[in-house]
Amino acid sequence: MAAVDPVALRVFVYDELLERGAPPSLGDIAGHFGVAANEARRALAELRIGKTILVHPQTGEVWMAGPFSAAETPYRVTLGRRQWWANCAWDLFGVAVIVGATVHVDARCTDCGEAISLTCDPEAPPNDDAVVHFLLPARRWYEDIGFT
Amino acid sequence: MSLFRSEEHVRRWTARHDHDVGAILDLARVWRLAKAWYSDPRARDWRARTRDESQAVIASVGLSGEFWELPR
Repeated sequence: MAAVDPVALRVFVYDELLERGAPPSLGDIAGHFGVAANEARRALAELRIGKTILVHPQTGEVWMAGPFSAAETPYRVTLGRRQWWANCAWDLFGVAVIVGATVHVDARCTDCGEAISLTCDPEAPPNDDAVVHFLLPARRWYEDIGFT
Repeated sequence: MSLFRSEEHVRRWTARHDHDVGAILDLARVWRLAKAWYSDPRARDWRARTRDESQAVIASVGLSGEFWELPR
């Protein structure tokens, strides 16, 4: 059976994310590359590129593909009719960088829940006095990436 | 890394959840960090950074000291 080229797989995951707002399922990957679902799962699991693409430990599906989250988060990024979820307050700017366009962010204050709307231009810093709290020191960022 | 309306809200939330305050950055700094950290992974020649390259990115926006030291 043909192996899945890891570079082509990475590009496919992000192409789908950018286009559809969600990563491809294992079924999508299998269909795109013409391989069985278990081969798609193995290829995704072996795509060890730092912490960039993480798979769900039970399902084997894409869980996060930095800076995007497959699941809904408090950080919704939109561009026209397209929508993405960022993993955290740092990553919402990463989404703007990768999308390469001025995006809109709908988030909330983690303390009080007040809505915070931001316009994120990849070429200019945001004009808002909200702040980002890094709870954990950098040495602990990767201990539990979901919590971080 | 969580968004808050202000430092006061960070202090209120950490006290309520019995956490220590970590580091509080303004949005302009986090934007600069994201600009330096992320590149388009759709590029075929994209690759994950090494630990030292990531540390250099963090330093490039003026973040240094034990809190910002990545694991070795």
